[in-house]
Amino acid sequence: MADDQAAGRTILVVGGGISGLTAAVEAAEVGYTVLLVEKEPQLGGRVSQHFQYFPKLCSPSCGLEINYQRIKNNPRIRVLTLAEVEAIIGQEGDFTVRIRQHPRFVTEKCTACGECGKACTALVSNPFNFGMDQVKAIRNSHAMAYPNWYFMDADYAASAEARSLPCPVGAIDPDMTATVLEEKVGSIVWATGWQPYDAEKIHPYGFGRHANVSTNMRFERLANSYGPTAGRLLRPSDGKEVKKIAFIQCAGSRDHNHLPFCSRVCCLASMKQATYVREQYPDAQITIYYIDLRAMDRYEGFQKKVETDPGITWIKSKPARIDEDPVSKDPIVIGENTLTGIRYADSYDLVVLATGMEPTSATTARVPGNNAAYDEYGFVVKGGQVLSSGCAAAPLDVAGAVQASTAVALKAIQAAAKRG
Amino acid sequence: MAYDLSFAQDVYKNSEMGHWIKMCKQCGVCAGSCPLGPHWEYSPRQLFQLVRGGKKEEVLKSSSMWMCTSCYNCIVRCPRGLPITHIVHGLARYASVKGYADPDQVTNRFATKIFWGNIVSTGRVGEALLTMRLYFVDGLASGIKRGLEMKDSALGMLMTKRLNPIPIRGKIKGYAGFTAMIAKAQELEAKREAGA
Amino acid sequence: MEAKKIGCYICTGCGIAEALNVAALEKIASKEQKLPVARTHGFLCGAEGLQMIRDDIANEGVNALLIAACSHRVKTDEFERFGTPLLDRVDLRDKALWVQDISAGKEAKEDLQMMAADYLRMGSVKLKKMNAPDPFQDEGFSRDVLVVGGGIAGLTAAKEVAATGYRAIVVEKSPALGGMVARMHKVSPTLPPYRVLEENPIQGLIAAVQGESRIKVYTNATIQSTKGAPGLFDVEIKNGDTVSTERVGSIILTTGYNLYDASKLDARLGYGVSPDVVTSLEFEEMAKAGQLVRKSDGKPAKRVLFSLCAGQRDANHLEYCSGACCTYSLKQALYVLEQQQDGAAFMLFQEMRTPGQMEEFYRRVQEEGGVIIKGDVEQVGKGASGGLSVQITDKLLRGKETLEVDLLVLATGMISTVDTQDPNKPSPVGQVAEETAKSVLNLEYRQGRSMPELKWGFPDSHFICFPYETRRTGIYAAGPARRPMGIAETVTDATGAALKAIQVVEAVAKGAAVHPRSGDLSYPSFRREGCTQCKRCTEECPFGAINEDDKGNPLFNPTRCRRCGTCMGACPQKIISFANYSVDMIGSMIKEVEVPPADDEKPRILIFACVNDAIPALDMVGQKRGALSPYVRIIPLRCMGSMNLVWIADAMSSGFDGIMLMGCRHGDDYQCHNVRGSALAEIRLSKVSETLNRLQLESSRVKMVEINIMDADQLPTIINEFAEQIGSMDLNPYKEF
Repeated sequence: MADDQAAGRTILVVGGGISGLTAAVEAAEVGYTVLLVEKEPQLGGRVSQHFQYFPKLCSPSCGLEINYQRIKNNPRIRVLTLAEVEAIIGQEGDFTVRIRQHPRFVTEKCTACGECGKACTALVSNPFNFGMDQVKAIRNSHAMAYPNWYFMDADYAASAEARSLPCPVGAIDPDMTATVLEEKVGSIVWATGWQPYDAEKIHPYGFGRHANVSTNMRFERLANSYGPTAGRLLRPSDGKEVKKIAFIQCAGSRDHNHLPFCSRVCCLASMKQATYVREQYPDAQITIYYIDLRAMDRYEGFQKKVETDPGITWIKSKPARIDEDPVSKDPIVIGENTLTGIRYADSYDLVVLATGMEPTSATTARVPGNNAAYDEYGFVVKGGQVLSSGCAAAPLDVAGAVQASTAVALKAIQAAAKRG
Repeated sequence: MAYDLSFAQDVYKNSEMGHWIKMCKQCGVCAGSCPLGPHWEYSPRQLFQLVRGGKKEEVLKSSSMWMCTSCYNCIVRCPRGLPITHIVHGLARYASVKGYADPDQVTNRFATKIFWGNIVSTGRVGEALLTMRLYFVDGLASGIKRGLEMKDSALGMLMTKRLNPIPIRGKIKGYAGFTAMIAKAQELEAKREAGA
Repeated sequence: MEAKKIGCYICTGCGIAEALNVAALEKIASKEQKLPVARTHGFLCGAEGLQMIRDDIANEGVNALLIAACSHRVKTDEFERFGTPLLDRVDLRDKALWVQDISAGKEAKEDLQMMAADYLRMGSVKLKKMNAPDPFQDEGFSRDVLVVGGGIAGLTAAKEVAATGYRAIVVEKSPALGGMVARMHKVSPTLPPYRVLEENPIQGLIAAVQGESRIKVYTNATIQSTKGAPGLFDVEIKNGDTVSTERVGSIILTTGYNLYDASKLDARLGYGVSPDVVTSLEFEEMAKAGQLVRKSDGKPAKRVLFSLCAGQRDANHLEYCSGACCTYSLKQALYVLEQQQDGAAFMLFQEMRTPGQMEEFYRRVQEEGGVIIKGDVEQVGKGASGGLSVQITDKLLRGKETLEVDLLVLATGMISTVDTQDPNKPSPVGQVAEETAKSVLNLEYRQGRSMPELKWGFPDSHFICFPYETRRTGIYAAGPARRPMGIAETVTDATGAALKAIQVVEAVAKGAAVHPRSGDLSYPSFRREGCTQCKRCTEECPFGAINEDDKGNPLFNPTRCRRCGTCMGACPQKIISFANYSVDMIGSMIKEVEVPPADDEKPRILIFACVNDAIPALDMVGQKRGALSPYVRIIPLRCMGSMNLVWIADAMSSGFDGIMLMGCRHGDDYQCHNVRGSALAEIRLSKVSETLNRLQLESSRVKMVEINIMDADQLPTIINEFAEQIGSMDLNPYKEF
């Protein structure tokens, strides 16, 4: 029988992506109280930006929907969004954490009816779509967002228009300020996930300089039916249909100049994105430039399936650089095919850089205080006061993140039982 | 025998930065980056795999490593951080020392004869003489042709006082010390190459 | 049980008051449906509105709530915390107001009013037919966890179960604990900087398990039979002539893996040509024994060639990759490079698969001199001076090369040790190893003794977001028994399985279901008198929850049940129901819709929508203000598996002109959370066309579509085209009756 005292202790999960969500619901369904803290206005993290998962080519929203249902049905789980952990004091079994909740400028009365959005004239660059389009300054971050509760950009909140937005239930509060809470928790799971590696740093590939060099996450947003182009795969410079496309694997990964580790998912993600292209353009030419194709264990079945597409060319090569045709803006991929020794300069409509996952725990989401152990890449590893799972701990695919987070939920339960 | 590591191990030990050859993961970025690439018989990464593969003759007789102009494109991009420029120069030197390098290969000839001869005879680079020797290396006719091709550059440099048309013949002041250093370095190198 | 007193609360916010005649709706609630309490509020989810409801509960004895407002997916914190188990949400907003364009004119407004009225009627009837479930309880519930298999996965699971305060019972078929890992030397790095081989943790783990009072261990033991259900598993453990019985709450299957039989590999790989061709496991044992020598003549093995993907990623052998072999072959290369004077290790790979932080380990092995070669073994012969002469295709040197080595190590793949559904059928990989021919658990389940498998003989259900799911509730597989994986991942996997095993016993203790209807207290009951013993419920249940009694009647096991209702949908006699979800309930809802007479020329289309993917997609249509035909009426179902064909008859006889079923994707890459629900609905539907034809109704009036949760932009087209098609047909001749 679980230690009755432990049942009273709360587990803090930091990060509301698929890893944090999983750790939270799994622990709560064993009977523990969970406080889930997410820095964005809504849950879902990176997976909510994906269009489909490999290998089943299914929507992330399906699993997220079940997890949100589990949260809704479970009064043991308390969710705080727009919240960050500022301080951690204490040890396993007995922590005090200080959480800063940034103002949402919209109260819980919000019914997501959309009246304010209709009246709002201010457009901002849409971070959910990596700046590829603009959205209203008051909104839900995406269609299936949870909590289904609008938020306002902080800059807009200071404007006159913000004060005069219509709201049938009076939920708009531009004067809202940040609040600071102190909570006592028994254990902490750091599940702050990852951010896409900044492709501009990979200078030879020209991201940021060449219009038609994109990244895997941006391409994923393009493919998403609720994305900036309603799912149409069109290239940035002129909106042309992408009929000839290249994926460059290990862009900024396995590379001591960038991320030395391998992000595990990018090979499979590019294969998956190749199916997007094929689905939309039956005669598109697709090329995948790779060093090693990493379709781990049972995902090999997915690679085999994608390999049956005769319109995909697989070239074992890490391209040296990408040039741009000044007139057509076609990107030109230059390198050496290591299996034939032949040098190539191939032009495409669009090039997608399969960039890697940089753990936010290395940069923007460091664990406060001296409470975490990190490896050389900034992943949170065993040995510190906080537990971690998902991509905060190691590069993982979704099933792996859920697996690890289910395991960490148990460790969190055990840790919460420790006497302070 | 393929993948007999005795050649590789000698290279790792005795060629400049040779031990880095172990680290290549055959991605091909160096090959794609090299501006002289189309002129190489084997790209850098091919050379490395050949070294590891025990293909001594192919590597050492190849003109490839003599093509490197030290642009450093490869080093900057290599994901494993191999100091490719240095490795390649090292292999060239190694081939030369082991007696495999083709003496008439252009860069070899320039480096080991013309350039070396020029420096060692005076203790400094005598540009005019060096240039003339290089231009006329294939004979009078080709030398004149080259000179004519480059005449605008030469004229420009003369006018801006960047070219001294008078060939320098005199030795540097510390010439004796200089030759002593060269001799000592050669002695140390010979010892190392003998496997000390 | 106290009498039900329904309070109906109609929210008039979010534009409802402007678009609908709320007074008319109130009248339907109180006069037509005779609900004792009917109120409206302009902002029902606000503090005042909620207090109004609370006051009625406290003062008016209201104990069942009909909330007519927005979708059941929103405002749950507001509307689901009253402590009344009887609650129904009528959606006047997301799936009604928001999908109708009433600016089009008077008729559009009238149509919306009819729609709202029908939804209110359906909700009322549903709530009237709903009873609060009485959680299934049994005094004999156990919270103990059975762990089958005492290797690293099983030992980890047992240790973690015990560390959380629960008891575990480990059953190991061999005399000793430790499994495959006990035969291994060291393990690949798990700790930063990911460069150093680590000590094998297995002995420490065995000692920890043996020293833990909460863990009971049986060795030389197998499972003779597993009866019962989660919370109530009675397991017979056979040890020689002794049979012990244990009552456990959940089971973790950690029987590990077998290696693919090397003698079945392609002849070119040379296994059997010389004793110097060994498998990875054989090499591991040699390293562990400090015997890195040629098996042929005992000379030191200095040059070792590791051939990866042996009989894997190969349509003729194992199609999949085992994931761990690249990393552990590098580990083995390091044995050679670290332990042998002048050691040389060659990695003959197709793809070098060292994901994540293992990339650094790959670097380390190259630093030590490990040589990578991309290629294949073509032929193996004996070497001129002993050892082997191996001809390879070398893709990087672009030719054929011959290597002289002392040993050739073949990295063969992992195959399942868990039984296939039919133990006598050869496993999909074309070989039947002796251990897999028998069932491990010997389930006393009507659907079979074995764990259902999906691909390649593994019991994994292949849900990406719910990787621990198998089709047997309360039984979780972990480690390579579930799918190929390496040691580090196995430890994580087993820990996660321990959590799931504990979670299920806690849920069972409350009478609650687990995924996907976590917390659901209802479970099926059946009216024995009506049973014709057709066995459809028993056979169709995706989870094998139904056994058979000695009279051939179905025997329900509530704790095995996921509450999907597939049995309810399957039963042609309609004798299966849940306290709060029944054939009669849905049938009554259908009949309560006010279908206009034929002269009005307003067809009615009934949409059965699965709550998992279809309803959220429909809500998104509303969020995006898509326009749906005003003639549709949506009924949410727990799963398309619960679709009972009588509802088609009910709908037709009520005057509906068209019926659409919206379920989740089925097939190889299925989405259905109950695995087979959606597929079963489609199969059943194929049988209904005959019935329809007999009734002189076109079978095209009934259509099933597979919906993706992201299909909101396609749904209007899908639904409206169907509505148009129905509209162009003659209206249902049964409308007038």
